Amino acid sequence: HIAEDTSDLLQYVKFQSSNFENILTWDSGLESAPDVVYSVEYKTYGKKEWLAKEGCQRITRKSCNLTTETGNHTEHYYARVTAVSAGGRSATKMTDRFSSMQQTTIKPPDVTCIPKVRSIQMIVHPTSTPIHAEDGHLLTLEDIFQDLFYRLELQVNHTYQMHLGGKQRDYEFIGLSPDTEFLGTITISVPNFFKESAPYVCRVKTLPDRTWT
Amino acid sequence: QEFRFGPCRVQGVALQELREAFWTVKDTVQAKDNITSVRLLRKEVLQDVSDAESCYLIRALLKFYLNTVFKNYLDEAADVRIRRSFSTLANNFFVIASKLQPSEDEMFSISESARRRFLLFQRAFKQLDIQAAQTKAFGEVDILLTWMEKFYEF
Repeated sequence: HIAEDTSDLLQYVKFQSSNFENILTWDSGLESAPDVVYSVEYKTYGKKEWLAKEGCQRITRKSCNLTTETGNHTEHYYARVTAVSAGGRSATKMTDRFSSMQQTTIKPPDVTCIPKVRSIQMIVHPTSTPIHAEDGHLLTLEDIFQDLFYRLELQVNHTYQMHLGGKQRDYEFIGLSPDTEFLGTITISVPNFFKESAPYVCRVKTLPDRTWT
Repeated sequence: QEFRFGPCRVQGVALQELREAFWTVKDTVQAKDNITSVRLLRKEVLQDVSDAESCYLIRALLKFYLNTVFKNYLDEAADVRIRRSFSTLANNFFVIASKLQPSEDEMFSISESARRRFLLFQRAFKQLDIQAAQTKAFGEVDILLTWMEKFYEF
């Protein structure tokens, strides 16, 4: 009996995770596959049962939000998709073992840049995640990653930048010229998991100096 | 940077280097483990381990990895990336294990509790075919490293 090749029905079943928002995505090998429906199941690594994901049964889109179902960042998970064509052909494919802690990417931080006459203050706001602590509150990235820190850079001119960094959230670049435009970039870094966010960028102008006017 | 497993201190090992070593082969190694319904390092083994217990437990686990998991796995690991990652992990596990000196006069109940946890892991390992068990244990190094991080001072 020669197994029928159904790889054209289903490919690249994987998790895409950003700030612990875990989306299962896949693709079909066909140019267009209007008559194919997909059903999603997931399981915790180490458990026997596969669980059907409600809301992602016999769907035609090629993604499914599994954030809640894979919401324990200390657990590892698998998901699998079954594709069935109108003609009755089917294919099932499973993801690699998924750990959101290891695989989530970090979005740019949310920052407030406050210009003053001779300085610029930057306040980094905590990034909350969809992960609940035992008491129900939402965990922040700082709660989850012990070694998380912020990296701040201020472009003063073409050749000179100022750098600040650390775990605290409030920073101030001082000794700047009044009434001058600066470019600030702030990134989140988690060295232990080799993660670095894309930068948050703010362009700000220091205030004019009115002391002698 | 150092590990503090209760009274046991271990310096000179960069946790990030271990993670990086495993990260490069994670998907390859874990894909070889198709027993998704068994987890060796499960909650009952690693959850709520007291500081006092931790030195006993980590030493037993690392010795097991060195003597039972890594020792025979090398022949099967033909892929050069796996071999490189493998030796980084094995060398560092050896360094950590050799520096762990759990105190002799600790209460018996502490070491006994650690031993029971280790036996849970070992029993689950022995219930599998040896090669499948070694592959699974190697694929769970990320779980072990995540637990070890709790005892790591950045």
